[in-house]
Amino acid sequence: MDNKKSQDQNTIDRRDFFKKAAAVSVTALAGTSLLANESAGEGDPAIMHHTKWGQKWGDPVTKNQYGIPSAYEHNVIRRSTKLLASGNFRASIAVTPIHESQGIITPNGLFFSRSHGGTAHVDPNEYRLMIHGLVEKPIVLTLAQLKRYPSVTRTHFIECPANGGQEWRGPQFNSVQFAKGFMASAEWTGVYIKTILEDLGLKPTAQWMLAEGSDNSKMGRTIPVDKVLDDAMIVWGQNGEALRPEQGYPVRLLVPGWEGNLCVKWLRRLEFSQEPWYCKEETSKYTDLKPTGKAIQHFYANEVNSTVTSPSPEIPWTDLKEGDVVEIEGLAWSGMGTIKAVDLSFDGGKNYVEANLKGLVLSKSWTRWSYMFTIPKKFQLDGKQILLTSRAIDDAGYIQPTIDQEIGIMGVEAVYHRNAVETWEVTEEGKVNHVQIRSV
Amino acid sequence: MFKLEAYNKLLISTSVAAVVAFSVVGCMGDSTEPSGSTTSVSLDIDGGVSYPVVNNKTSDYYVNPQAIGAKINNGRVPNAAELAKWDTDLQPATPLSPEGHGIPEGSGSVEDGETLYEAQCVMCHGDFGSGGGGYPALSKGNAVDLQKTLTNNRWKDPEADGPTRVFGSYWPQATTMWWYIRDGMPHPFSDSLSIDETYALTAYILNINEMYVDGEEVDDEYVLNRAKFLKIKMPNVDGFEPVISGANVLGGVKAYFGKASNFGGRNLNQGAEHCMKDCQEPTAKIKRIQNGGIKDFIPAMNVTRDLPKKEVVAIDVKKTYTESCAMCHSAFLSPGSGDWAGYTPKGIDKVYANGINGTESGMPAKGGADLSDADFKTMVDYLISGKVK
Ligand code: HEC
Ligand code: HEC
Repeated sequence: MDNKKSQDQNTIDRRDFFKKAAAVSVTALAGTSLLANESAGEGDPAIMHHTKWGQKWGDPVTKNQYGIPSAYEHNVIRRSTKLLASGNFRASIAVTPIHESQGIITPNGLFFSRSHGGTAHVDPNEYRLMIHGLVEKPIVLTLAQLKRYPSVTRTHFIECPANGGQEWRGPQFNSVQFAKGFMASAEWTGVYIKTILEDLGLKPTAQWMLAEGSDNSKMGRTIPVDKVLDDAMIVWGQNGEALRPEQGYPVRLLVPGWEGNLCVKWLRRLEFSQEPWYCKEETSKYTDLKPTGKAIQHFYANEVNSTVTSPSPEIPWTDLKEGDVVEIEGLAWSGMGTIKAVDLSFDGGKNYVEANLKGLVLSKSWTRWSYMFTIPKKFQLDGKQILLTSRAIDDAGYIQPTIDQEIGIMGVEAVYHRNAVETWEVTEEGKVNHVQIRSV
Repeated sequence: MFKLEAYNKLLISTSVAAVVAFSVVGCMGDSTEPSGSTTSVSLDIDGGVSYPVVNNKTSDYYVNPQAIGAKINNGRVPNAAELAKWDTDLQPATPLSPEGHGIPEGSGSVEDGETLYEAQCVMCHGDFGSGGGGYPALSKGNAVDLQKTLTNNRWKDPEADGPTRVFGSYWPQATTMWWYIRDGMPHPFSDSLSIDETYALTAYILNINEMYVDGEEVDDEYVLNRAKFLKIKMPNVDGFEPVISGANVLGGVKAYFGKASNFGGRNLNQGAEHCMKDCQEPTAKIKRIQNGGIKDFIPAMNVTRDLPKKEVVAIDVKKTYTESCAMCHSAFLSPGSGDWAGYTPKGIDKVYANGINGTESGMPAKGGADLSDADFKTMVDYLISGKVK
């Protein structure tokens, strides 16, 4: 709007203004799908009618003293599948609906839940944490004593290294919740283990730390002291409240950026040693078998990764048509550093353009990115179906490999740590399907 | 937006900070840089960036400098009995630690192990540890032979045999087995086996994996004890990388993860290209989901926003039995069996209560199923009568 016009506008009288506004809004609305919902002449019932909630008392503030989501959100939930149902769902996983995730924080009730012997319900009054082994002074702490240490608060994702691990030999899940939702992100509060060790005195021969849970599987893992002395934490807070039982209430380990399995829940014991342990979850499972026949035994960081969350099989483009301008949105993350850039391809990873990062960009954290796009005719570019592929880069220099590059080294039997680029195919109707672009 | 120049600047600034970091934590390993690195970046043991505290900040977070190095004297020293009670982990015998750690005196025979297995494990792990139905196999046959399948890889031929990863063929140490059985099994009722029972079950599992200990076959007569246990050498003991056992190994671990090609990574500082044009292998094509893929989601995928339906669904008795009771109740106390005569005289309410709360002798609370009390009682009625009401 140029200056002259806006001056005119200031001088128009009130009646004119409403007339003009009406004319403008009709043109603006024409051609949008909103008009289709409007009952001819009488207006949209959602506007014209009294609503159920608009004319009578709502709930008193004394209801739901711990708030719960709107009943209409009942489909926004963790989901599981028979394939991953081992042990009557007690050695199993329920995954996060990342197609419904907003920003870089997962609500506690939607945080993915994985256990090896079921969710334990620990009495905080009987909670004890024992730290011993190659330290000058072993200790045992109550929960209250633990929380007396100076706290730090950090936003980090936790990712099961089996995220995407069912799809080494080809796509299996037509769903972003299942293809990429073995992860979630939260703001965690706890204490650096190095702070506690200042008092205990780590002996110089110590190389490894065992972290063990108190649940019925006594889930344990071995962690090198380099990481313990860098940023490993013992946490009790999750998004401003206590951890949920599914996340290890009252206390879990947080090993920023590393395999979710290392972030031992219902934590009861840390032991330091010169020799490593060989826990079930770092021998039988969570080891990456390569075509050489050798397996990576201790695999730590979840490597740089990304996905398009909108559109996705769950959130397709079927409500859009040619000319609509839409935001393509996604997540990028790296357990090895901070996201530096995300590239987006419309042809399955042949050619890329740069996408834009959005919001807070924190280390070892979910990072939002987006790209504005105008829907082409039949959802096709140059007569070809759109194949959306995202690719992230972190500040350690890591860039997501193509599927061929990754399996060229790892083969297809590794199970864990798959971070090759993934692709959504958009059909002529705007439906979205999970595909992979690969040579074998 | 992405400029390699700006990117390199960033790496250099982190590496300056790194020098401070390593002197603070007294890094255990040597700071081996990845070969072919064009910039020096402060790498952690995982091959990723570490963010030391510089000007009271670590990456984007402020830290309270007073808290760094503060010696806080919380808690108390545990006594010997407390330490012994919780320090139940096992570590294998190694040149550095010839006795291992936590391997107790005791013994158990293959014969006793088999009896225990039949009573407490077979319902989930199958005959001779064959596994199935979501429960892991404990054996697939001869350990030494199966170890050779670990180079199998189905990437060219989907019909080919994959690698067989079970205890005998894959696990590097037997301590894992002993420790896990003792602390984690039987799954619904863990931490309930004695030391001798654990030796017996371990002996049985060695037996079904057709293993040898110190040249001696673990046959049906075999009796395992601590001394023999220390001599177990798993066929795949050398099947893992990087080297984690021994003094001063963390430098090697760090060097391993400093090289992207060791674990299928691509790193711009190690020769990978930030390709924007023609980045795909010419042979690559679209691979779609086969046969509909996996879609038995629980609950089914749904993105509508409506009110949940309130209908009360009657439980599917037969299905619930198969999924939640049959693995234990198919042989004994099966639907309508005479065994129930030994249980019902005490009164149905007591039977319900025992089922709901679980019993010491192996019935987990509600069988481990996620059922309301009312639905569970329906299941008990079915088990006793053999009829669906
Ligand atoms: C109610 C079912 C159930 C019973 C009974 C049971 N287990 Fe298990 N077992 C499981 C499940 C489930 C797992 C997998 C746990 C996981 O994924 O963390 C498992 C895992 C194992 C493993 C690890 C296997 C691997 O390759 O990773 C061993 C060994 C084992 N069980 C031994 C036993 C022994 C010995 C007994 C009897 C004393 C027993 N189990 C009884 C359900 C059971
Ligand atoms: C992990 C194995 C296991 C599972 C799963 C299991 N049971 Fe049992 N159950 C047992 C054993 C063992 C006993 C015998 C306990 C005894 O003699 O004290 C038993 C006993 C019972 C009893 C008799 C209790 C009493 O002392 O009077 C009832 C009732 C029962 N089970 C119901 C069920 C139902 C219903 C299910 C499925 C929803 C189920 N169980 C699943 C192992 C199991």
